[in-house]
Amino acid sequence: MVKNRVSMEGSLAVAEAAKLARTDVVAAYPITPQTHIVERLAQLVADGELDANYIPVESEHSAMSACLGSSAVGARTFTATAGQGLELMHEVLFVASSSRLPIVMVVANRALSGPLSVWGDHSDVMAARDCGWIQIFAENVQQAFDLVICAFRIGEDPTVLFPVMVNIDGFHLSHVIEPLYLLCQEEVDKFLPPYKYPYALNPDKPVSIGAFGMPNIYTEAKKSQDMALRASKNVILKTWQEFGKLSGRNYLPVETYKVEDAEVLLLTMGSFSETAMIAIDALRERGEKVGLIRLRLWRPFPLEEFQKAVAKAKLIIVLDRALSFGRPTGPVCSEVQAALYPLKTKPEIVSFVGGLGGRDISAATFENIIRNGMEKAKSGRFDELEMIEVRQ
Amino acid sequence: MEKVITMEKNEVPFEEYLAPGHRACTGCGEMLAVRLIAKTLGDDVIIANATGCVEIVSSPLPTTSWRVPWIHTLFENTSAVASGIEAGMKAMTRKGRYSRKTKVVAMGGDGATADIGIQSLSGALERMHEFIYICFDNEAYMNTGVQRSSATPFGASTTTSPAGKQSIGQMTWKKNLPAIVAAHDIPYVATACPSYPLDMINKVEKAMKVKGPAYIHVLSVCPTGWHSQSNATINLGRLAALTGIFPLYEIEQGRYKLNVDPAQLSPIEEYTKLQGRFRHLPPEVLASIQERVTDEYVKLKKKAAEV
Amino acid sequence: MKDTTIEIRWHGRGGQGAVTSAELIAMAAIAEGEYAQAFPSFGPERRGAPVLAFNRIDNANPIRARSSVINPDIVAVLDPGLLYITDVVSGLKQNGTLIVNSPKSLVDIKSEFGGPWKLAVVNATAIARELLGVNIVNTTMLGAVVKATGIIKMESLVEPIEERFGARAKRNIDACAKAYKEAEIAEPVAVRARQKREFQVEKWPAWQELLPGCVVIEAGSASQYRTGDWKSQHPESDYSKCIKCGLCYIYCPEGCIVPKLGEEGFFEADMYYCKGCGICAQECPKDVITMVEES
Ligand SMILES: Cc1ncc(C[n+]2csc(CCOP(=O)(O)OP(=O)(O)O)c2C)c(N)n1
Ligand code: SF4
Ligand code: SF4
Repeated sequence: MVKNRVSMEGSLAVAEAAKLARTDVVAAYPITPQTHIVERLAQLVADGELDANYIPVESEHSAMSACLGSSAVGARTFTATAGQGLELMHEVLFVASSSRLPIVMVVANRALSGPLSVWGDHSDVMAARDCGWIQIFAENVQQAFDLVICAFRIGEDPTVLFPVMVNIDGFHLSHVIEPLYLLCQEEVDKFLPPYKYPYALNPDKPVSIGAFGMPNIYTEAKKSQDMALRASKNVILKTWQEFGKLSGRNYLPVETYKVEDAEVLLLTMGSFSETAMIAIDALRERGEKVGLIRLRLWRPFPLEEFQKAVAKAKLIIVLDRALSFGRPTGPVCSEVQAALYPLKTKPEIVSFVGGLGGRDISAATFENIIRNGMEKAKSGRFDELEMIEVRQ
Repeated sequence: MEKVITMEKNEVPFEEYLAPGHRACTGCGEMLAVRLIAKTLGDDVIIANATGCVEIVSSPLPTTSWRVPWIHTLFENTSAVASGIEAGMKAMTRKGRYSRKTKVVAMGGDGATADIGIQSLSGALERMHEFIYICFDNEAYMNTGVQRSSATPFGASTTTSPAGKQSIGQMTWKKNLPAIVAAHDIPYVATACPSYPLDMINKVEKAMKVKGPAYIHVLSVCPTGWHSQSNATINLGRLAALTGIFPLYEIEQGRYKLNVDPAQLSPIEEYTKLQGRFRHLPPEVLASIQERVTDEYVKLKKKAAEV
Repeated sequence: MKDTTIEIRWHGRGGQGAVTSAELIAMAAIAEGEYAQAFPSFGPERRGAPVLAFNRIDNANPIRARSSVINPDIVAVLDPGLLYITDVVSGLKQNGTLIVNSPKSLVDIKSEFGGPWKLAVVNATAIARELLGVNIVNTTMLGAVVKATGIIKMESLVEPIEERFGARAKRNIDACAKAYKEAEIAEPVAVRARQKREFQVEKWPAWQELLPGCVVIEAGSASQYRTGDWKSQHPESDYSKCIKCGLCYIYCPEGCIVPKLGEEGFFEADMYYCKGCGICAQECPKDVITMVEES
């Protein structure tokens, strides 16, 4: 295997992955910080480097709608959006998953208005967490590239057939240049078989997609969808394993860092995780038994893996990059609480929210969060979320 | 060869692609239009259908009335879905994975077309996707129980433009959607009505032949929403054309042509008196409607006279 | 606590006003100081399709149940044709009451639909035609229901009908009163009359049987659904006048008029699907087709 090491911006890496996947159709609408992805794809098509139809739709609602159409006719379909764009798609997201159309979408995570903010946080994806998509988080440019390629194979697996959302942090990943090991076309072709939708719209075998459900059948429809989404985890695991064999880079639903004997776990998602590792290292050097845990797979929620990963910890400190207004904790933290509630012995949980609307979190801040969390636990204050570094 | 029925020397395709057993109201003009258009489109077609009466009555899970590939997703996005189908088919054809010359057809009600879906329609027309858009205009949101749309005619009483002590019903004039569509400079625009089946079939056939988008606006009599007798459906469509209320014309490469052009327009009362939605209208309002209809018809005739 | 709630199930057709019947009964009962509920069953079926509406009435306790009525005390059937396409007595309680609109005599109806329930028959269609000029029997049927069950007082219906019908109230009240007078009643019999017809039952799949995305792969499978059950009139043809122009074939919204491609070549309506809209009869240029009421 020739290691093809290049330097590339996150957005271009994503576009490159979609190109190597031999995407047939891209339907997208520009929004900061996703623009570099779609501009690059448009250019690749214009230059004849990607043999695809680029549909410059008039809105994100139409972007996702066009994706429904092209995926249903049997074309491999890619799109990307962020923030307000994901919100405008919201209604259509549910149809993509309930119709079981394996569209791949990259979300360059962005805050939601108002006030208007083009900068990053996880408000957009958290508002879409129940839309029935497979949802995955990348932490650096390499992962963004790898996970997009894997996303096609996962979603299109005939036993899966779900749309897949790969989350990359707006600006922090979309606009950063990093070293990247590319895969060559032959490698990707071998890994990713051609898309063949078993129920494609085709006059040879007419099907009806999107028939309506009376009360006598709607519940069965939802049961079937939910069971299939849960079952997709096995394919996700298998796909990542095979990808590991191909690339040497391994992915897990729940990623851990220095957790072996850790009593305190920090939980993060997305690109800030690597910064958090610096804090973990620093605290470890000072003898603290701390580790880091990241949810790479957000949907389907990797319950077993998660429970296992945190079983021995005494305290979990969750950093959410989104708010669930009026809720005692951040959205990820509340899922963590729910996931651990059934366990007889379980760690205590504290909730922090930070990194909103492009606000940075440094390694030093992560250290503070961990220390602060440990303080809280010691004094038994688990009450409500704490927003970090907010001016008083 | 497909079996054909010959009527007045015109050939009507025999095959039905919309199966009987659909759950539309008794005497529904919209489903009649869908049925005849589906016949004409034939089997090499993919249909994208907006939410509304047609979709609801033809797709009760776990069954379907459709014998051609059909997809329903949402209310306002059907032109975008059709764009995706067309683009996907093109890409696959180029790459040797699709070999038919399948026609892509989007259909929706007047609400789906003139109101909530006008943005996606405009986008798809502007991008010049090769598809036919068919608007089934029953002049209100019927699926949700007869609420007004921007295609509801002046004076009609609906549940959200009700006639009352202070109101004569709908207070705005019907949006001229064919003109808006024509402003996109697409190759073919037409109005039609199943009361003139051969004219409608002919227009669908023309739309299938053009390169680029085509648009057909079909007046679809709705006995439930119009409060008319179920057996009056055909007659009402005919009167709509003969009174000039809904003229039948086509715009080919920008040129207007009237297809039904009575020497003398019938008075609009012949049409309105058969429908409960106009029953409350006093003579002076009817007179103002008559005036407007006549004026518009004169304008249309002028356009048709231009060469 | 003793169950004091009386439940009513109304069978009608979309557009016939079964929901209005239920609402008027509830309004009257509430005006009498009782607890009452009226609600429709929601479905995609349209004008002509069989529909249901429900009542609960309780003279002692507030009503908390909001689910459909499964075991009614009273069943009222607004359209004679419905008797032959739905099992109207399904779940009807022992010694309950069945009230039907039919031109047939009490004896005839009893021989077909008698059972361990009180039976009332009234020709509500004839009364409505005579006094209201239309075949809408929702108010007329109330008279028969009140007579057979005494669930409310006749006087209590006056105000709700006035409120609902305004200028047309008087005629509706008259129709209601006439039905009260004319309804004939038979006491329960031990054995249920033999069922003559198989009813259409819809089959619902288990979740495991659904394909991904609930895609439907049997093209045109909705054609198993018998929309012919919806009609209250049907076309009859005198082919001696037929010129085989095919207009009926073209204009039928159901697509259920098919050319018999055999020797004769006439067009014939398939009663399995015909909804009885009357378009074919109206549009036939030679008056070949006439619409005949279902009986
Ligand atoms: C976003 C959204 N808003 C509202 C609705 C509710 N809705 C469904 S169909 C419909 C009206 C359809 O009217 P029209 O397009 O004129 O078609 P018709 O039913 O009259 O044939 C409405 C308002 C919806 N499904 N989706
Ligand atoms: S409401 Fe109107 S358009 Fe809808 S099915 Fe009934 S008759 Fe047809
Ligand atoms: S009455 Fe005639 S037109 Fe109407 S459904 Fe029956 S056969 Fe068709």
